[in-house]
Amino acid sequence: MPSTTPFIRLENLSKSFGKVRAIHHISLDIHRGQILALLGENGAGKSTLMSLLAGQLQPDSGSIFLNGEKVVLNSTEKAIHYGIGMVYQHFKLVENMNVLENIILGQSKNFWLRRSSLEAQVKELARNYGINLDLNAPIRGLSMGEKQQVEILKLLFRKSDLLIFDEPTAVLTPKEADNLFATMREMAAKDKAIVFISHKLEEVLSIADHIAILKQGEIIDRINPDAGLSPAELARRMVGRPVLLQVQRQEVEPRQTVLKVQNLSGNGLEHIELELRQGELLSLVGVAGNGQKALVETICGLQPPKEGSVRILGQDWHDFFADKQSESSLSYIPEDRQGLATCSGLDLLDNFLLTTRHGFTQGPWLHKQVAGEKLEKLLHDFDIRPPDAALRAWQLSGGNLQKLVLAREFYRKPRLIVAEQPTQGLDIAAAEEVWRLLLKAREQAGIILVTGDLAEALALSDRIGVMFRGHLVATMSRHDQASIDRIPQMMAGLNEEEHKQTQYEEVNP
Amino acid sequence: MNTELLIPLLAAAVVSGTPILYATLGEIITEKSGVLNLGVEGAMMMGCFTAFITAKLTGQPWLAFFAAGLAGLLTASLHGVICLVFQGNQVVSGLALTIFGAGLANYLGTPYIGLAAPGFSPVPIPGLAHIPVLGPILFNHDPLVYLSYLAPFAVGIFFRHSRFGLSLRSVGEFPAAALAAGLNATAYRWAGILAGGFFMGLGGAYLSLAYTHLWTNNLTAGRGWIAVALVIFAFWRPGRAVFGAYLFGGIMALQLRLQAGGTSLPSSLLLMLPYALTVAVLLFSCWRQGTRAPANLGVNIEPSS
Repeated sequence: MPSTTPFIRLENLSKSFGKVRAIHHISLDIHRGQILALLGENGAGKSTLMSLLAGQLQPDSGSIFLNGEKVVLNSTEKAIHYGIGMVYQHFKLVENMNVLENIILGQSKNFWLRRSSLEAQVKELARNYGINLDLNAPIRGLSMGEKQQVEILKLLFRKSDLLIFDEPTAVLTPKEADNLFATMREMAAKDKAIVFISHKLEEVLSIADHIAILKQGEIIDRINPDAGLSPAELARRMVGRPVLLQVQRQEVEPRQTVLKVQNLSGNGLEHIELELRQGELLSLVGVAGNGQKALVETICGLQPPKEGSVRILGQDWHDFFADKQSESSLSYIPEDRQGLATCSGLDLLDNFLLTTRHGFTQGPWLHKQVAGEKLEKLLHDFDIRPPDAALRAWQLSGGNLQKLVLAREFYRKPRLIVAEQPTQGLDIAAAEEVWRLLLKAREQAGIILVTGDLAEALALSDRIGVMFRGHLVATMSRHDQASIDRIPQMMAGLNEEEHKQTQYEEVNP
Repeated sequence: MNTELLIPLLAAAVVSGTPILYATLGEIITEKSGVLNLGVEGAMMMGCFTAFITAKLTGQPWLAFFAAGLAGLLTASLHGVICLVFQGNQVVSGLALTIFGAGLANYLGTPYIGLAAPGFSPVPIPGLAHIPVLGPILFNHDPLVYLSYLAPFAVGIFFRHSRFGLSLRSVGEFPAAALAAGLNATAYRWAGILAGGFFMGLGGAYLSLAYTHLWTNNLTAGRGWIAVALVIFAFWRPGRAVFGAYLFGGIMALQLRLQAGGTSLPSSLLLMLPYALTVAVLLFSCWRQGTRAPANLGVNIEPSS
């Protein structure tokens, strides 16, 4: 435990995007020779914090100290100059060049590249860190793990002292992940500082010297893994104590089944069983990347079920999606509202007509007049501001854009709605509006809500399902308090026995 | 065809291929940085006229040659302003540049049509010029041709073995990687556009200083477009551009000879030959393998938010 000045010290860093608080009064020490893990859900502020360190964003307030001296990281070059390097989730490699060229890019001081001497230097470096790569191989032929090694070598070659890894294992096979961890330990042993961003609990526990848990832009906990913490406890702390959200909620009598999933496997899913009835809102919670995406994409027709059956409104998956008419009774509200859900360069009317042409067409022609009138009413009913159909989608704030997507989808009177992280990145007022609309839509449809926010799930759901490693571990009623208390453990993949060993009492309203 | 006819034809192929070679190298440099400049013809025309007028006024061919390079560079800099400063569409900007450059050069040159200016004449290289066959084909030309022998190697070595060349290529392939390495991607694109424009201007200069020694309208006659096509044919490799340029030079020379020899083929059909070959070459290149264009060719760098 070094008592010296930390390599990097963050003091009271804050950054907001409009009304949304990305990170809030974060103070953090990063020491040489140590691996610091930043643990947090999507949207917890991890990437913002990282961009501040990489010089891509400037904090609204707070300061960054390097070896005890205050620095301003206002450009990528500056961050590089100070020895801060980043291994991005999406590699920044030139596919058509070879490994060596990628590593020496921007690094040679001489006008002419002395390939043989540079190659020898890189080879030496790779050997020191136990990395084995053919330096003359073009990048395009490498595996993801090898590409990541090139990224690491790039940073080591430019003598970075701090290496930040953004979810580095997301693209790796387990074997490659083990290699990566070995390299990370090697780097820490050679007095580099490592920051490791992840939401995979077990790997964080196995590799990190320190763990900081980020939630809604704040560090809510700092943990020393040597304290013998179980993944369950870690999950509990990461999820935190759910703040009870006050949402007006009326019970709706469940009616006929709209979705029945039986023994669905493949694409990372394992024997999913699930039934949803009209009038029900089922939340799927879990740490991101545990199969939620695959399940949603299968239900919404983006990928066919490999094994098992999916029946939507009583029809088999293939029949349902073959029939254009019945397909309109399903609404998908994707996580990516600016990419998948809307076209940012089109006006609101065109965006409205993207999925909702029924009733506005005659042969090949669109009745824009009629659709326009309808949209005016929807803009008013859903309180979308500014209520101007001629605006382009990009001119709307995130909350208003999301409301437009909901208005469009609900207008079709769907019987089954699948909403992915519908309130992510929205401020609280906009989020409440979205919650109200979802609960209202429940009267005519069955809703699946995928969320990383347990509080949101608890406030809205009739039932909650927990996903872990492609399994739907359990589904429970909102009234089953005993099971709800165990959700954090389930998210960490722990069974009943282990649960009994944890001595922490859940504090719940 | 016997050697008495073939050797002069091949020598003529080298001469008519030289301006295309300069222009093709210019476009390769530009495209390697990720910028598509379809204004080659415009930059060549500006270079062509500038060379002519400089030589006419000063009587100094070498000065005229480099002035033409500068004229090409300045013309291409418009492309840089539109595409790099204002994020304009590269295709549209390049087309406009062609029309603008050709139009301006023709307009400025109107009073000089048919007038001659001093230029370069063949200087046989002692010793080499007497090698049988190769001597007359390669070593009995003006100095600009000899310079063009060196240029592709220089450009190739520069791309492969200099720090600057590596960085420039990375900007054409994947600007995000260059940015992550702390390089100023936009500056490299400027360098690509300006250096490329310089070479295009040199290509134009060859036409008025060595190929004709006089000024007429539309001296470039579509050679700029041929250069654009040759870049693809050459798979963006300077060395291969040499073959392409001489192939086209050969067709142009052959076409002239056939006309002079009094063939029964209509002259307009013969004039069409190089352009028909352009289409054929493009088809061939695309069919032979998926093009190896720089991955971000023609894609502007989004200003970081």
